[in-house]
Amino acid sequence: MNAERFRTVVSLVLAVGVALSAALIGIGFIAALGVGWQGSLIGATHAIGRSTADLADLPARLTSLEPLAISQLGLLALIATPVVRVAVSVWAFALEGDRLYATITFAVLLILLTSLFLLH
Amino acid sequence: MNPASDLGIFVISAAAGLIGALAGVGGGILVIPALTIGFGVDIHLAVGASIVSVIATSSGAAAAYVRDRLTDMRVGMFLELATTTGAVCGALLAAVVAPAFLYVLLGIVLLFSAAMQVGRLGEETVPELPASGLTVRLRLSSSYPDRQSGREVQYAARRVPLGFAMMWIAGVVSGLLGIGSGVLKVLAMDVAMRLPMKVSSATSNFMIGVTAAASAGIYLSRGDVDPRIAAPVALGVLTGAILGARLLAHITNRSVRLILLPVLVAVGIETIGRGLGFGL
Repeated sequence: MNAERFRTVVSLVLAVGVALSAALIGIGFIAALGVGWQGSLIGATHAIGRSTADLADLPARLTSLEPLAISQLGLLALIATPVVRVAVSVWAFALEGDRLYATITFAVLLILLTSLFLLH
Repeated sequence: MNPASDLGIFVISAAAGLIGALAGVGGGILVIPALTIGFGVDIHLAVGASIVSVIATSSGAAAAYVRDRLTDMRVGMFLELATTTGAVCGALLAAVVAPAFLYVLLGIVLLFSAAMQVGRLGEETVPELPASGLTVRLRLSSSYPDRQSGREVQYAARRVPLGFAMMWIAGVVSGLLGIGSGVLKVLAMDVAMRLPMKVSSATSNFMIGVTAAASAGIYLSRGDVDPRIAAPVALGVLTGAILGARLLAHITNRSVRLILLPVLVAVGIETIGRGLGFGL
């Protein structure tokens, strides 16, 4: 992969990540103005008063189109965007045959993944 | 939260993003005082909301800078080792320090940012310096296309350990306060490592998203990234920053910064006052 292509891919990852997450956060926000954060766009009912830290029931809340859950998915996509950018960079440096920077970037990826998963 | 305060948070965040973009600081630094002082939001929730808005604005801007060849991805990736480690430390520390400390620190960073703006009012010159040992081994030298002079400008990083240490501190501040710490990052690259100003700014922006993601995970696991606050803040700051970038193309940096300088100073003093318990 040449340097030009590398920059294009990194740029694309960032642009798509921000656009996608902003769209999800925006849909959730506008929906919340209509039916409330813990309402449902399809009129489904579910228990309220959960902690927002608990992401275990996110898929269930997403299927009932809860505005809070849609925004939450967007926020997760936003936090994942730089992580994906770093992961893509590891791959790109490796393709360039740049072992030093593939290793440095992989170390950054490990720090990010540790902060995201191991500290829970 | 009711729809009126949801919209209110969106509007005040957009204003913070707009003023931040015009003043040359991030949106986070202004959105935290706006949320805590204006809406009575708990400082930890304000910090959690701010940190995700920082990812949005920095990644959006970085997408453009990377294409323009102003971002030095090697310098950025290497220094991210320092900022992400610092950010994790900062985010862990934020849970145990008193909110008053966070207010005072935020105020100091605001005043410091204001002081840095004064220095940035002039135009920079690019020193062409020889590379040293670490710079060669880590390949921290490159060139960028300068639009004004129309030529490739060569540069090499100096004082790499000092720059690395300053980046770790920038990471701690970012993790503690949920801000991008762009001013501190630029300082590390521009003043300590003697990189050209344009490369420092673009690379700082590139790094901010990754630094913020490192602490965002910790705020998320603590439940401090509440979508009811984080969603309108992220959308608002992003909207304001995009508007600000458009506006900046039509007005001169210098006059804008001179006008906004008192805003940064006033908010900084107000925030320190709040931390010290003087109230409004």
